[in-house]
This record gives sequence, structure tokens and C-alpha cells, in this order.
Amino acid sequence: MIAIVVCAVLAVYAGLRVVTERNTMKKLPFVNVISFGVAGVIALLLPHPLTILAAAAYFVGSTLESNAIASTWAGGMRRDD
Amino acid sequence: MLEEPVRILIAAAICWLNFVTVDLIFKLPEKGGVIGATAIAEQVEATGGNKNGGFMMGNIVSSPDASAGTLLAACGVYCSGLFGGLFAAVLVYIGNRICYDPGYAGTTGCLTATLIVYGAVQSGWFAASDFIAGMVIAILTIQGISSMYASRLIGRLWRIRSRFIRAGRP
Repeated sequence: MIAIVVCAVLAVYAGLRVVTERNTMKKLPFVNVISFGVAGVIALLLPHPLTILAAAAYFVGSTLESNAIASTWAGGMRRDD
Repeated sequence: MLEEPVRILIAAAICWLNFVTVDLIFKLPEKGGVIGATAIAEQVEATGGNKNGGFMMGNIVSSPDASAGTLLAACGVYCSGLFGGLFAAVLVYIGNRICYDPGYAGTTGCLTATLIVYGAVQSGWFAASDFIAGMVIAILTIQGISSMYASRLIGRLWRIRSRFIRAGRP
């Protein structure tokens, strides 16, 4: 029970840090902490063999989004048209 | 068995050592894997942090590394034992490939974490849920408190790691 509360509280804390941080690139590490917390909550709430798929899918999807935001913000790929 | 809060804190320390060690071995603080990771490192450096530490923070954000491997290994062992942890390693490898990363750090971290978590659960001292909460605390210390101090700490560890590279060892 304490484990799930720790995950949820830290995810909410990271969410507040995302809102208060002004620099977009520095928001992303906090988004990463949210992903960890939520993936942990998913696994702890649903102890079933298939839950690992849900947690991994959520986590990888969220990481890919952060990757895309960071790369786009940094300039991303150039388009000639 | 110890009290749950104490177990979670010990598990956090074990998770922290596991993922930082594997990430340093696989040279995550050396350079940004994607352009976004480099941009994060530049921002961290611009606000008083260390660039190598910033590279590692950027790489952790941009692709599932050993920290993600440790979390998903703990989730896998919690949900379905040793097999779950090994299955998580496969998922981390697929996740790495989706994020344009070779995937060695994440997969290795996941396999070592599976052995550690499964061993700890079998010993009777820990529950797998301790390691899930522990890993969230461990990542909080790197990514979620102060990017300046966390990047300086990683930069210091990276200087120790780079001595081995200069000595001609991998």
C-alpha cells in the first residue's frame, strides 16, 4: 500500500514541477518522473501477467513523446519545401 | 522482514546503484544519442549544470535506458516472477529500437535488475513492490529535484569512468 502511495505522490509532485518550470527543455526530465510513477502505479494496481505489457507500452510511448518534443524543440529535421 | 518504508528506501539505493552503474558502463554521459538529448544537455549546462550529466539526463528522457529497465524489471517480477522480468527485457529492447537507440544499456539494466529483484524477493527480505516504489524514488533524485546538482554528481562519476577509457580499456 505504501509503495503505490509513494509512486502516486511522486508523480503528482513531478506534475507540479512541470507546471512551475518555465524552460520547456527542463520540463522533460520531470515528465520522465511522471512516466515512472504512472508506470509503477499501473503495475501495482493490476497484478496480472499482462500488466507488464500495459506498463511497458505506456512507458515507451511516453518516452517516445518526450523524445519527439525535445527533438522538435531543438530544431528537428530540416525540410526544404 | 523489515518495515515497508525502510525496505523501499533500501530498494531505492539498490536501484540507484544498478541503473547509474549500467548507464556509466554504457557511456550514456558521453554524448547525446539524439538531437533532443543534446539540447537538454545544453539547457542544463546553461543553467549551471554539468554537460556530461546533462547528456545522461537527456538520454534517459529520450530513450528507455537502464533506469527504465530497472523499473520494468521490478514490474515484471511483481506481476509474474522471473519470467515477467525477462519478458520486460524484451519489451525494453523493442522500446529502445522504437526510440532509435541501440538498446544495450536498457536491456542489460533490465536483466541485471531482474536478477537483483528476483534474488531479493526469493531471499524473503523484500517484496517486488518495494523495488517499483524504490526505482521511482531513485529516478526522482536524478531527474526530479535539481538538474544542476544531479548533473554535477553524474559529471563527477563520469570523470572517474573516463579514466578507464583513456587507459585504453572499454
